Amino acid sequence: MARHYQHSFDSVHCVLSLLQGIRGTFCDWTECARLKTALLICVLLLGSSAIAGDPDGQSGEPVRTVTLRFVSWKADHPRAWDEAFARFAETRPHISIVRELAPHSSTAYHDLLTQKLKNRDATVDLFFMDIIWVPEFASAGWVRPLDDLFSPEEQANFLPAAMETGRYGGHVYGVPSRIDSGMLFYRADLLAKYGFTPPRTWPELIDQAEVIVGGERASQPALRGYSGQFKQYEGLVCSMMEFIGSAGGRLITADLQTSQLADPVNLAAVDFVREQIVGRIASRAVLTYQEPESVVPFIQGNAVFHRNWPYTWEVANDPKRSRIAGHVGVVPLPGMADRPPATALGGWLYAISPFSRHQREAWEFIEFLSSAPLQRHFALAAGIAPSRAAILQDERVLEANPHFRAQLAMFHGATARPRTPLYPAISNILQRYFSRALAYRDVNLVAEATQADIQINRLLDVGRSAR
Amino acid sequence: MAQRLLLAAGIVFTVAGSLAPFLWFALTSLKTQAEVEQVPPSWLPSGGWHFYRIALFDHDLLAYVGNSIIVAGSTTLLALAIGIPAAYVLARVRLPGKSWILGGLLTVSMFPQMAIAGPVWRLLAEVHGLNTHWGLVLPYVTFSLPIVIWILASFFRELPAELEEAARVDGCTTWQTLTKIMLPLAAPGIFTAAILTFIYAWNEFFFALLILTQPGKQTLPLGIALFQGEFTIPWGELAAASVLATLPLVLMVLLFQRWIISGLSAGAVKG
Amino acid sequence: MTKSVAKAMSADHAAAWWMLAPALAFTLTLAVYPVIASFVLSLYRIILSMPALGEPFVGLENYGALLRDPTARQAFLVTAGFVALSTALELLLGLCIALVIHAQFPGRGWVRAAALIPWVIPTAVASQMWRYIFNDQYGLANLLLFGDRVAEYIPWFASPGIAFLIMVLADVWKTSSFAALLILAGLQLIPDELYEAARIDGANLWQRFWHITFPLLRPALLLALLFRTMDSFRVFDLAFVMTQGGPGDATQVLQLYGYKAMFTEGRMGYGSAVSVSVFLAIFFLSLLYIRAIGSRLLERNA
Repeated sequence: MARHYQHSFDSVHCVLSLLQGIRGTFCDWTECARLKTALLICVLLLGSSAIAGDPDGQSGEPVRTVTLRFVSWKADHPRAWDEAFARFAETRPHISIVRELAPHSSTAYHDLLTQKLKNRDATVDLFFMDIIWVPEFASAGWVRPLDDLFSPEEQANFLPAAMETGRYGGHVYGVPSRIDSGMLFYRADLLAKYGFTPPRTWPELIDQAEVIVGGERASQPALRGYSGQFKQYEGLVCSMMEFIGSAGGRLITADLQTSQLADPVNLAAVDFVREQIVGRIASRAVLTYQEPESVVPFIQGNAVFHRNWPYTWEVANDPKRSRIAGHVGVVPLPGMADRPPATALGGWLYAISPFSRHQREAWEFIEFLSSAPLQRHFALAAGIAPSRAAILQDERVLEANPHFRAQLAMFHGATARPRTPLYPAISNILQRYFSRALAYRDVNLVAEATQADIQINRLLDVGRSAR
Repeated sequence: MAQRLLLAAGIVFTVAGSLAPFLWFALTSLKTQAEVEQVPPSWLPSGGWHFYRIALFDHDLLAYVGNSIIVAGSTTLLALAIGIPAAYVLARVRLPGKSWILGGLLTVSMFPQMAIAGPVWRLLAEVHGLNTHWGLVLPYVTFSLPIVIWILASFFRELPAELEEAARVDGCTTWQTLTKIMLPLAAPGIFTAAILTFIYAWNEFFFALLILTQPGKQTLPLGIALFQGEFTIPWGELAAASVLATLPLVLMVLLFQRWIISGLSAGAVKG
Repeated sequence: MTKSVAKAMSADHAAAWWMLAPALAFTLTLAVYPVIASFVLSLYRIILSMPALGEPFVGLENYGALLRDPTARQAFLVTAGFVALSTALELLLGLCIALVIHAQFPGRGWVRAAALIPWVIPTAVASQMWRYIFNDQYGLANLLLFGDRVAEYIPWFASPGIAFLIMVLADVWKTSSFAALLILAGLQLIPDELYEAARIDGANLWQRFWHITFPLLRPALLLALLFRTMDSFRVFDLAFVMTQGGPGDATQVLQLYGYKAMFTEGRMGYGSAVSVSVFLAIFFLSLLYIRAIGSRLLERNA
């Protein structure tokens, strides 16, 4: 503490003496440019004289060893990841990896990461990039194009639909780490008990849920028919887009010209969720759920059906966490009546920061992580669905993860969220509209949808004026 | 009698209302994982220190504590170093526009963080202050100066003027008068201002969210707000982390309650 | 202060300015300049994710958009409602607490410390705590109300009105003791003789409060009102941690909205317009207050 004290006083003297130095013009208090300069210099001195004593300067590293900083989230399967890192360390001893764990929530993660990229922070070398950020990052120059590193032959090994998620404006920006899309999980034991096969349509799901919940009421009063994510956050857009897509609607026209929330098909789908899902078979608590909250009722045995991302398979079948391990089924999401189902396209890409000083090494690491052996490792050890076509057909992988077949089928029909650099702003409008539609029982849907359409169209106009 | 009863009720209400909600969180931190996940919740815990171990070691809470100590400590020292001379001048020296300066400072303490966030971010980016502790200390000092100056100015104003006069006669400069004569006398006020600044810097969230993007550098409020488990929300660990984040402040309150109350009231109303 | 000292000191004005300088430098660089810069930014259209747009000067366009923006309107209403409700409750509760901790009784120090604890708890912690208390499954609120009748448990945060009220409650819990401290300071200034005289005249508890305490407490109450209004206008942490603005924008406060516009959406110009508006709202409100009470305060200080 005494040391800090000393430095603080030093800095005061430093400010004072600097100001004295420019005394001639100093009477003019409005001249804050000089003040600013003086202060900033002091700030620099203060900083370098180690108030914080930050140890992570580049200087202390031995020659030829490169440290890569990899921004990812708290690894879903720590051991599988630790093993992957260990294997990399064996083959490339000159590259060490520092993992920087960012928040789970895609939006919080986005905000932290973009703060760094806006700042051209050279301490970020590579990062996980949500597929919805590709247009934004590409347009802003926050991600390095991989065209020169990622050969067409190598690209051909990945599922074309997965590759597509990393492309924007004719360039490729990311290597798909997995395939990801919404799935329907269900209680196999309960469905069997009542003689049901997994539902193919939403109305069918509702009927089954009501029968089962009614039948179990006496023994399990907390049982509900459905659990999903309907909080006002990014995931709400996915959830709602799935219902809208199943009904044959789209959020925005394919050419990204017009928002069409007020389209009757879309309105009917939102109304369906409001009346039949949130208002009927689910607890209204789903309005407060993101993924981590929504999985809890399911693994505690309090929900018959559950919509979530594929990782749920592992969680729900882990006896240490789940009371329903071994009783879980998974199928593609249902459709509406006779229409094919729709599912939201998710996924994370490995991407390189354009401000990294070790882009080659970062690419080496990405090549390693997305290689066939590693994808097999992640599939077997962590249940992550591979993005390489060959690994998805691997017998052993499919044996350990029977749900990959359903997942692949869903993945191919999955709907991407609007691909525009303005997506974060559009998403906030969508979130607000959907959340209001679900949370207020007496809200006028048409008016709200029209209002949201106007706001989104204004943004799309702004976006078009760039071209 | 009625007065007695009313007072007793008031005491119970004040103590229970203040402590009960946090006590519930503290109880949660001592439960077992099964008890945390139990519906309906259990009242009493039987788990022991399990969650504290996880919070401290698996979630690296100690690093957050260290960061918070560095940031709050530096803020306090710097704010005092800058605030003491300023407060002394504003209390004791006749300067033109003095009431403007005081009023201006009071206004600054009311600025919404958003209104300055963008430019402060850009300034810090220019001087490579983002993602550093000193980059966070700078805005913290700026926002704690008003309260420091306000409290200290009212303290200095109440000290007897004869001492200064004597110092003058002996040929002391303003600076010497301050450091040699007034500082020791104003120690209680300085101490109060220090506590309040420390609490402010320990608790601040908005700028920390903006400036510290690297987990190893983040302060406790960020750690708590962005706390995450693997798949579900780890309430037990979160509760343990929250208790740990709060403990130093609770200790400060228990030890220095008198100083905090006298300092705030002196700065506020007596003027 | 005697005249001779004053004289000697005014000769030493230069030194005085140097002693003020660091504080002024900090304030000008990191508070005053940024506000001005925010205003300048708000006159441009800057969208970070679309550098191709350039950064054109658009005059007051962002402010026009702000007026037409239903989300901003909602955020303003939510914030205003939050300020009015939480400030009123905090003053009321703060007055009660202040009366309690002003009274003489054994163990008063401990009660005072207890009352201070919510105020020192980091808002991020308090937010998580209240989120947990009103959790739909593990929460204390449901446990107290329904015990083991699990099927009746209420998902509090699913209802817009209740979510808003929880945010108010969390703020009231956390900052009533701050209001209490300011009011306590006022109470300590009221001479005991007044109460003695009133007692001799046969005034009861209520009469003493209403005719002596309350009128003499007015300045302290107004000051607490000023501080709390300004501060609650800036609410951010609570909404960020507890609700992220939902459900249905019921807890979308202005600072959160501005944060999202600037740092999630990268719309620097528009986000600046939002934050300058918040600033102006607070600024004019504080001018109003200072006209009412502050001038006296400042005069005494000067």
